[in-house]
Amino acid sequence: MVEGIGIVLLKLAFVLLFVLNFGGLLTWVERKQSALMQDRIGANRASIFGIRLIGLFHTIADAVKMFTKESFRPVAAEKFLFTIGPGISVFFALVGFAVIPFGDVLIIGGKEINLQLAPLNIGVLYLFAVAGMAVYGVVLGAWASKNNFALLGGLRASAQMISYEVALGVTIIGSLMIYQTVELQEIVRWQGGTLWGWLPKWGVLMQPVGFILFLTVGIAQSKRVPFDAPEGESEIIGYFLEYSGMGFGMYMLTDFVETVMISAITVTLFLGGWQVPYLMADGFHFPWGATWQLENWAVALLQVGSFTLKVMFFLWLQMTIRWTLPRFRYDQIMRLGWKYILPISLVNILITGLIITLLK
Amino acid sequence: MPKITIDSTEIEVEKGTTVIQAAEQIGIDIPRYCYHPGLSIVGVCRICLVEIERMPKLQVACYTPVADGMVVHTNNEKVQQARRAVLEFLLINHPLDCPVCDQAGECWLQNFYMQHGLYDSKMVEDKVKKQKALPIGPNVMLDSERCILCTRCVRFCDEITETHELGIFNRGDHTELLPYPGQELDNKYSGNTIDICPVGALTDKDFRFRTRVWYLTETPSVCPGCSTGCNINVHHNDHRPYKAGGIRVSRLKPRYNPDVNQWWMCDEGRYGFTQVDADSRIVAPQKKTRGDWQLLSWQDAIDEIATKIKGILKKHGADAFGVILSPQMTNEGLFAAKRFFQETLEVENIDFEVVAREKGYADDFLMKADKNPNSEGAKKIGLSAVDNSGLEVAQMLADAKDNRLKALYICHHNLEKGFKKEEVKEALSKVDLVIFQGTNQNSTSNLANYCLPSASFVEKDGTFTNFAGRVQEIHKAVEPLGESKPDWTIFRNLSKRLGKSMPYFEAGDVFNALAEEVDAFKGLSYEKIGEHGVLLNGHRASTEKEMGALVA
Amino acid sequence: MNIHDKYKPLTFWEKLYLPAIISGLWLTSMHFFRNLTLHILRALRLRKTADGAVTIQYPEFLRPLFPRLRTMHRLTKRDDGTPRCVACMMCETVCPAKCIYIIADEKLENPEIEKMPESFDIDLGLCIFCGYCVEACPVDAIRMDTGILEISNLTRKGMVLDMETMLNLEPMQDRYVKYTKEGEIVSQEYLKQDLSK
Ligand code: SF4
Ligand code: SF4
Ligand code: SF4
Ligand code: SF4
Repeated sequence: MVEGIGIVLLKLAFVLLFVLNFGGLLTWVERKQSALMQDRIGANRASIFGIRLIGLFHTIADAVKMFTKESFRPVAAEKFLFTIGPGISVFFALVGFAVIPFGDVLIIGGKEINLQLAPLNIGVLYLFAVAGMAVYGVVLGAWASKNNFALLGGLRASAQMISYEVALGVTIIGSLMIYQTVELQEIVRWQGGTLWGWLPKWGVLMQPVGFILFLTVGIAQSKRVPFDAPEGESEIIGYFLEYSGMGFGMYMLTDFVETVMISAITVTLFLGGWQVPYLMADGFHFPWGATWQLENWAVALLQVGSFTLKVMFFLWLQMTIRWTLPRFRYDQIMRLGWKYILPISLVNILITGLIITLLK
Repeated sequence: MPKITIDSTEIEVEKGTTVIQAAEQIGIDIPRYCYHPGLSIVGVCRICLVEIERMPKLQVACYTPVADGMVVHTNNEKVQQARRAVLEFLLINHPLDCPVCDQAGECWLQNFYMQHGLYDSKMVEDKVKKQKALPIGPNVMLDSERCILCTRCVRFCDEITETHELGIFNRGDHTELLPYPGQELDNKYSGNTIDICPVGALTDKDFRFRTRVWYLTETPSVCPGCSTGCNINVHHNDHRPYKAGGIRVSRLKPRYNPDVNQWWMCDEGRYGFTQVDADSRIVAPQKKTRGDWQLLSWQDAIDEIATKIKGILKKHGADAFGVILSPQMTNEGLFAAKRFFQETLEVENIDFEVVAREKGYADDFLMKADKNPNSEGAKKIGLSAVDNSGLEVAQMLADAKDNRLKALYICHHNLEKGFKKEEVKEALSKVDLVIFQGTNQNSTSNLANYCLPSASFVEKDGTFTNFAGRVQEIHKAVEPLGESKPDWTIFRNLSKRLGKSMPYFEAGDVFNALAEEVDAFKGLSYEKIGEHGVLLNGHRASTEKEMGALVA
Repeated sequence: MNIHDKYKPLTFWEKLYLPAIISGLWLTSMHFFRNLTLHILRALRLRKTADGAVTIQYPEFLRPLFPRLRTMHRLTKRDDGTPRCVACMMCETVCPAKCIYIIADEKLENPEIEKMPESFDIDLGLCIFCGYCVEACPVDAIRMDTGILEISNLTRKGMVLDMETMLNLEPMQDRYVKYTKEGEIVSQEYLKQDLSK
């Protein structure tokens, strides 16, 4: 029992470290990557004892600033809701990771440890439920600020998030029809096999249209450029207008955590999660017949590493998209969600269903 | 009457009219320097040259009387060329002083150069040097280099004031305007030479370098300096408050009124506006507690004063209440006061006249001995002691000395001007409640229990009635200083607090009510007054002969 | 006219958006990878120059200034050290930001000058550096050639330049771009600032 709790705590610590570090690092990545893309150098002035470490200390400087800055609350604000708004936002962004599998099973001393925090058999549904709650943090914070601009930002945010939540569910139904399960660990395992003996059975190959749609909707859910109409920090000011200090910091963090979240889900659903091509529980089985036996820990390590790498790739991709595309107008966002993505995913479901039936 | 054609417009004018005047009648502006409608005609500047058909040479428009069938061209190539040439001559020795010249912006040399000159200078010789920045009188500074020798100022001193201080000396390009040796330009109207000087040769010592003329805003008004009521323009600095230590009114200039002052005004009135921005201005209601002045809000001041007035009226009756109004107040202020004291408080001891012990300077031109702008108005509204069968000011003070007067409401007056200092002091010290209402502190305000700030003549709208019974408007040029308010507003507010409201929202409302109630004003209305004023009933306009004294 | 008529309708390919998005992503990621490689090479000392970015590392490196650049104001002096300015208030009048405040003084002892500024303040917090004041001055009394661009202060009052300060400023010499006679730029390296000063 104690052992079990210990293991869960360890896994929890790992996941939290994983997510929060990525979230924090993303502030640095955002600055540096945008700089490289635009032929600039990027933030590099924060230093400790003259050591600058290519601007990494800016992350720390940010944190120090956020913590020490006055958390200002407008007089008219709804005190309680204003305070918990950012908390709700971060919380629902974080709890999603509970069901993301980051490896298969690790065997230590004869004990099988499932490398997933909470092996829920309704994993995907849980994820959507949690994602659906995220909008509350935004809308509550916006409304509680008692500022019309913040409220308008909140309304834009809720309209966008709720619209895209519908699409989010529909885009992956095609995949779920193939996987025949909603448990995420099972979904990843399903993607372990190969097609025609050599092509990994990753979701992106089975459901290319679903993949693109899901990625689009996912980015929209994280409210970042090009879907940042709710914030529009430099022009239309958004829902966290009245927040300063840590409150603002938490909303920022939410965005970054959601970015990691979207990457993780995309990887899990479409890129085979922790799967490494041709890696089985006992080692590699290459399509040309060769094998390479590996210990269980090595396999687990490879899997976790593979998962991490894939997540990092999607983080990079999202950053690139964020610094390449201009913002959609509000009506364009709505049109894209309701008039393009939703019908296309419905058609996708139909075609997938047809193919499955025909193949039976 | 001769019929002439000017620039293809035909016009019929009086015999003896000059071409420049005829052109003016149809709105054609012929440039001029030496010609001034108020002075004799000399035709020395030559800028007004026009072409008259069948005359061999160009003619000066200011000196040529019209003749039947004349055809005049005021703006053809020949005329323009002549003007350019005249300007070029005028500017040969003119210094490049515009940056430091106070006239810049209202200078006729600048204006006509821009309109008619615009040639490239051919002068290579050195310019003739003359005296610069020479004070020639208490108010006037002369810069001989800038003078274009139009002789307007000389003619003014010869014909209008007949004091003959100025003359033209030397010959050729050394000709110079100067005061006669041993003389100063020191007459009561010397400021007018600055106005009529078309260039920056004569500048105003008082205004010099304070600001620039293009920063100023102009508001028509009436001089409050004496009962003539010369028409003036108030030039005030609205947008550059840091200039000249923050004074808002920069200068007063006479405004043409054919029936009152024509083009002129006296120096006393011209420089008499200093009290408007003086440190002695009362800027907030105040009361004296144990010898110290303490600031009050209007709300508190009105409340306290109303309570005290009520108490005294109840205890001692209206006979123990004296009111000294002032002919410095506008008709509106006086009328509101009349209604407040007579109708709201039912007080009878109302007077306005404090005869000055020192007789003011007067002459047969503009200046009058009565240094108040509205004595006639106060009389006509019926505010002298005789009209009300109440006490005169002198009697009020006497009564006060004998402890019979318990409250005294004094507006604007400095009683020391009419009575001995000790007398005033003794009398006022025996009165329980002395309220002073005025623009500036004086020795009387220092003896009061309450001081109420009223707006000065540049800070409010209203009307004055001059000695001849002409009602003329003043206009608000600047915002009232501090908390000060127009007199009629103060009386309206007090009256409301004491139970009787007056439905007045602006000065015009008060005047129209006044016109309805007071016989002399019957038939007038605020809207009808216009820029030159209107006469009260029973007054007639000055005859030509009487005005003749003005034109000399 | 319908506003849409002005534009060519999108083809089906363009309407898909995805190709355009991908080509955009391609462009930006090429910059990313190229610059990343260059930076890494430089960090490994395999390359000397930092081509990966166009950034100038201010304040260690300063950009050369062009001679016509408008920088902080100064007032020129007569030979005797008094201001050339005659307080004509042309600059004050023309200033679109209304940030020049001149109070004139009478100098009767020298009637050749007559008028001089008693105080002459410019509020740099309001100034928009349009240079109109320099254009308007009839006596070349005000110039904007000090080369001082680093203008900051902790108080609003501190942003106000007074006459004393402006009279003591010198024209800037060595941060200008130098030209040959033919008008070609001779030296335009970034100047290394001596930070010890
Ligand atoms: S008189 Fe007129 S033209 Fe002459 S210096 Fe003065 S402003 Fe200039
Ligand atoms: S001082 Fe003025 S008014 Fe007198 S002559 Fe000269 S220019 Fe004419
Ligand atoms: S540069 Fe322009 S804004 Fe600045 S002081 Fe001069 S005129 Fe005014
Ligand atoms: S700086 Fe030049 S333009 Fe400005 S007041 Fe002085 S002289 Fe006139």
